[in-house]
Amino acid sequence: MIPLTKRSTRRLETTLVSYSRQSLPRPARLYSSPSKSAHAPAFALGSRAPDPLDNVPEATPVTRAKKQQQMQVTHAQDGSVTDFGVSETAVEVEHEVPFNLANLRKHLAQVILARRVLPEDVAARQKLLEESVYDVAVERLKHQAELFDEIGLTNKGLGNNDLRKWMWEWHQKLKVRLKAEIATLAVEESKLSDGRGIRLSPFLTLLKPEKLSLITILELMHLQGGAGASKVMKIARALLSVGRAVEIEYKAEMCKKNNITMPSNPARGGDHGYFSRLGYRDLHARRVAAAKYMEDAEEWTSDWSQIIRVKVGAFLVDLLMDVGTVVRTAVDRRTGETVSEEQPAFVHSYEYQRGHKLGVIKLNSIVAERIAKDTVRETLHPRHLPMLVKPKPWLGHDEGGYLYNKTSVMRYKESTEQQIYLRQASNLGNVELVYAALDVLSTTPWKINRDVFEVVLKVWNSGERFHKLPPAVYDQPEPQKPEDFDFDPKAKAIYITRQRAWYNDKANNHSDRCNVNYKVEIARTFLGDTFYLPHNVDFRGRAYPIPPHLNHIGDDLSRGLLKFGESKPLGERGLRWLKIHLSNLYGFDKASFNDRVAFVDQHLADIYDSAEKPLEGRRWWTTADDAWQCLAACIELRNALESGDPHAFESSLPVHQDGTCNGLQHYAALGGDDRGARQVNLDVTDKPSDVYTYVANMVEEQLVKDIEKGNPMAQLLSGKIARKVVKQTVMTTVYGVTFIGAREQIEKQLKDRLDIPVEECWLAANYLAKLVLHCIGDLFSAAKDIQNWLNTCARLIAKSIPPERLSDTLRPTPPSQKGRPAPEQTLYARMRKEQMTSVIWTTPLGLPIVQPYRQEKRKQIMTSLQSVFISDPNSPAMVNSQKQASAFPPNFVHSLDATHMMLTALECRTRNITFASVHDSYWTHAASVDDMSVIIRETFIGLHSSNVLQRLHEEFCERYKGYKVPLPSIRTMIPKLPRTANILQISDDKESRTLDEQAVEDLRLKAGGLPIEEEPEEVEEDQGEEEDEEEKPKKKKAKRGGKRVVSSELNLDDKFVNLTDLLPPVPKKGIFDVDRVKNSLYFFS
Amino acid sequence: MQRSLFGAGTCSFRSSRPSAISRTCRRHFHDPKPLPPQDEWRAHFPSSFVDVRDRVSINNLETGRLLADSFLSGKSLGAGENKVVIEAYPGPGALSRALLRLPKSKIRKLIILESWDRFYQYLKPLEAVDPRVTVLPIDGYTWDSYSVIEEKGLLDDVMKHDWNAGIHPELHFIAQLPHGVYGEQFFSQLFRCMPTKSWLFKYGRVPMSLVLSQPMWDRGTAPYATNARCKVSVIAEATSQLQNAVRPSELQPYDDHFHPSTSRVVSKKAESKRAGQPHVAVNVVPHQDQLIRSDQLDHWDYVLRRLFVLKSTPLKNAMNSLAPGAPTLLKVLTDPELPPEERVNINDKIKNLTIKDWALIVRAFYNWPFSPEDLTFSNAEDFGPGREG
Repeated sequence: MIPLTKRSTRRLETTLVSYSRQSLPRPARLYSSPSKSAHAPAFALGSRAPDPLDNVPEATPVTRAKKQQQMQVTHAQDGSVTDFGVSETAVEVEHEVPFNLANLRKHLAQVILARRVLPEDVAARQKLLEESVYDVAVERLKHQAELFDEIGLTNKGLGNNDLRKWMWEWHQKLKVRLKAEIATLAVEESKLSDGRGIRLSPFLTLLKPEKLSLITILELMHLQGGAGASKVMKIARALLSVGRAVEIEYKAEMCKKNNITMPSNPARGGDHGYFSRLGYRDLHARRVAAAKYMEDAEEWTSDWSQIIRVKVGAFLVDLLMDVGTVVRTAVDRRTGETVSEEQPAFVHSYEYQRGHKLGVIKLNSIVAERIAKDTVRETLHPRHLPMLVKPKPWLGHDEGGYLYNKTSVMRYKESTEQQIYLRQASNLGNVELVYAALDVLSTTPWKINRDVFEVVLKVWNSGERFHKLPPAVYDQPEPQKPEDFDFDPKAKAIYITRQRAWYNDKANNHSDRCNVNYKVEIARTFLGDTFYLPHNVDFRGRAYPIPPHLNHIGDDLSRGLLKFGESKPLGERGLRWLKIHLSNLYGFDKASFNDRVAFVDQHLADIYDSAEKPLEGRRWWTTADDAWQCLAACIELRNALESGDPHAFESSLPVHQDGTCNGLQHYAALGGDDRGARQVNLDVTDKPSDVYTYVANMVEEQLVKDIEKGNPMAQLLSGKIARKVVKQTVMTTVYGVTFIGAREQIEKQLKDRLDIPVEECWLAANYLAKLVLHCIGDLFSAAKDIQNWLNTCARLIAKSIPPERLSDTLRPTPPSQKGRPAPEQTLYARMRKEQMTSVIWTTPLGLPIVQPYRQEKRKQIMTSLQSVFISDPNSPAMVNSQKQASAFPPNFVHSLDATHMMLTALECRTRNITFASVHDSYWTHAASVDDMSVIIRETFIGLHSSNVLQRLHEEFCERYKGYKVPLPSIRTMIPKLPRTANILQISDDKESRTLDEQAVEDLRLKAGGLPIEEEPEEVEEDQGEEEDEEEKPKKKKAKRGGKRVVSSELNLDDKFVNLTDLLPPVPKKGIFDVDRVKNSLYFFS
Repeated sequence: MQRSLFGAGTCSFRSSRPSAISRTCRRHFHDPKPLPPQDEWRAHFPSSFVDVRDRVSINNLETGRLLADSFLSGKSLGAGENKVVIEAYPGPGALSRALLRLPKSKIRKLIILESWDRFYQYLKPLEAVDPRVTVLPIDGYTWDSYSVIEEKGLLDDVMKHDWNAGIHPELHFIAQLPHGVYGEQFFSQLFRCMPTKSWLFKYGRVPMSLVLSQPMWDRGTAPYATNARCKVSVIAEATSQLQNAVRPSELQPYDDHFHPSTSRVVSKKAESKRAGQPHVAVNVVPHQDQLIRSDQLDHWDYVLRRLFVLKSTPLKNAMNSLAPGAPTLLKVLTDPELPPEERVNINDKIKNLTIKDWALIVRAFYNWPFSPEDLTFSNAEDFGPGREG
């Protein structure tokens, strides 16, 4: 084990503190000059890692495909898989080159060829991979159409409903039509006088009509393919997608045209490591230099507005609907004749959904059916695929990841504010560690686990339902129509309910199947290659791989298919960890490590059987919690044990270390909560403690007490509170689960138990949820205090108004320009509109986080199809203070766990340990687990020794200095206002004066007698609560009366309090010393 | 102040059709569980309970009498003697009590369905004083409840009456419909059972008497070429004959007749769905000739729902929303070979189409080889009896 030195921890701390404090980002406008990033030391850009593709066997072209199967593998002489065929069962044709997915192989072949020709130029190789799908798709559809022509399948009306043939036909018509229409449009728009309306033709001429046509067709098909159960596409979404696809394609084209060259990753954290001042400066300097290298802030890089996207989308989709037709045949039930009709493939219509009239695009049922049979694999875009070369390092907030597809480092939720803050922080050099950590994650090499893949493929090709893999043909019988269908309304209703459920399941089965299909096909394509998953972060700083289909964050299947691209000899400890890992995956993860090892030793026969005869044998692995990963571990363990020298066995299987209830771990550390810390394994124990069982037991005890009181519900539930019943609720407390949420979770668990009458479940859940939440609050009282503190801070911030807006607010509304007098608005109403402050904080790594929750404002946009309502991220809107407050605690904790993960990633890279993560599950080679464990603890201690909450408080005080909270917004708090808070009276001539003590005291007294007047909480449908209210109609009346008193007699309207005076002090820390984590065995395990 | 239900002297009919007989009968009864006085209803049945909030109950005994009379006697479409009455949503029973006060010759059996306990407590005691009464703690909204009635043998003595032999002489259905979404679903379901002769209509053309909100009634009876015209009004027109039981003004103002009262319920609902809407009492009888063929009910449903999404659009432009390719049906509807009365003016807006137009459109759609197959499935939202899933 690498000894944890006090020095290294302290070094980490100081870096964290000094960097984030010094570089606390303020709202952008407050900055006058960018911080002076000191003289950048000279450095070499090209410290290059060894070529990842060096040992990959060469791919040979496909030989031939068999027809009956949907898919098969071709092996080269050395046994490596070289290619796959996918053949259509519908068309019994022998063709030399199976086309479909092979398209990707073609890409790869080109890349490999390029590697030979251009061994040094990684960029050129990935460039080939990222070559536009649309170019390739045209080729492919054309090829297909020619093929059909040759064999004479082109006659219409022969039931030849091939998706690709249709798409080819639509494409042929659409590209011609587009060319003509765009030309006409350009002429018309040139006649427009300046500044009137938006011109579309400049945007539509950026790409060739051929490409526009393909984008439209493929994007719609892709959307429908992913639509799953619902058969219709919402129009706004469809138009935006098409518009955005055009934008992305255009930018990718520009990127390639400009042939931007790429600096490669710095392999390690420089000479100074990440966590020294010098090292950090070095990191920053390198990035700035690299970014300059690429600077190309030309106009084309700017984002299109939503309006443009929608309008471009509408123009294209409109024309596609016009030209896209299919021929259908059917039998006339009166004459018995077969008739055929040419019908549109897509139609635009309206539907009511939950009382709202929505524009939708519907597919002709024959097309929809076809999509359900074929997958729309043509629509796989390179931006959905892993990368063959190391991703571009993050050089700026929108510069990194894929080489030619512009990607943003953060997934904004349409929040311009976030983007501005991040850009600013990035320019100031405050987020170097975040970029560097993402680069670490992005450059972890991966491979497909071939052994697992072969099993998956076999099962997949059989088309049968198998352990969460959906069957090719939905295997549940359709419900029978009852005989009394027409006469008995009840029988009819039941039948329809069942049939609806059946259709729904069938559709879900299909979308599951598509989903798996993507994974299998991508895995197949990348078999034998080393590849990389570029990462970016969500707005809280949590890292995610960008390729959506196959990645290690995905389900059990995805994870089972992946292993590290590099291997390390197991060693003695590694072998032990491999066994523990296997035991964890099987589900035996509550026992001590020794017991887990013993568990595996006892099951060696099963493990061998699983590894050697995964399908033919006893299938022990399929009974595991995570079956596919378990299979992978079985195979790895067997291979190691059979290798002759297990300790020397080169293992590349990722071994996981998971935090036990990670959110609560952070809370316990933040609050120094001794009791809580023990429950989530922060403290030293010889056996892992299981918080879920503990809470379940607490609830049981409570039940016993209630039984004594004669509570029948307690009687009913006694002895039935398993760990499982409370698990989800305990887990989600951290994320601020509400009572309603908890009740639903528990109700579901109770129903699944089947031993409680269904009709009792709701009431039982209602009762139980109260108990569970109470027990959790009791057990994690410190966590609850912190949650409340965070919540209060956020609520106050969301109610505050920045000083520069205040004077505007106080001015009465100017009369509207149209001559009509503006409706008289009270000062308070105007002020409420100005409450636009969102909660912003900086993670210890310097990442600014802006909560995006605002009242949604939608804008109507007229398009050629219909008018569409879309939200406009640029228009200022009131914050949703409810959401700001309730989401802050979980977001804050997520920002901490993200920080912990990134610190660990960086430190792992420094010590040359392979690292990957799924939020609070950290992965490395079996041999490196011990080293990583040390790092995990070290970074956790480092993070929590830096007084996180106190710093948050200070940050709030600095950031929101001068912000004022209108008194009417916090009416309930008046009696409890801290003595330090001055109540200010501000009038529109900007003069503000502090009320004297007597006046404040009066206010307090008067307000003290006032009933509560709060903003309505988010109303959740709940009968129980309504019944509770039964007793207090009188109070309600008083409430209404109270409001009047407050607003008229006391006149709070022009009175304010400084936000910083209101922020409550940080909750007191308990006695738990976070340093104890160092020796906790089961902290992460 | 306790006011006896059948107390003498308090009754003065506002009805234009006073019934001498009912007066003579009242003294035979003793109410075992008198209803609370009108001004105490709020305390007994507070509107914080869903069953109070979402339902409207007659709280005035006079109103009950007025309606009982107007449902079963005089000019009512359902007037008759020796009836078997099923009453759903009785509330605590102002109307039920009035029905029992009618001459015994009028009603031979009264089956009351009430699932909410507080109301039930005011109904159950009636069984003890009148052998004609059965009170069941079940919900009139679910189909199951009617199976329960049959299983209990309560309808064994009701004969099946030939559909073409006139209105069913015995069976009669009475309900005070909830004013929320359940009520609306219930209302539209009643009509949809007629073409297939299902539910109570398997016994024949059973008359119904309903108390419902004015907006709901307006939608159900909206004539063509009005803005309120909708799917329910088309189906109602095609299936049944509708009649106001009393002048709507006789049930005004709302607060004098119904509970919960207007001012007590704070609601964010649209005005038409809020409590306190004017209510009407109506009689409904199925047509002898059903325009909707029983095997085409789903087609009617589908066509009406799809097209009424665009109710102010001319038919010729709205057809696309029926199904891809459906505009070809326009040719069928305007075929010059057809006699003029079998053609549809495709320039008419959806809401202006007459019942005859609709029949022609549905016929064309039914005959179209490409009409969607999964009508029933996509109709799912229409299938009400929500509580059985």
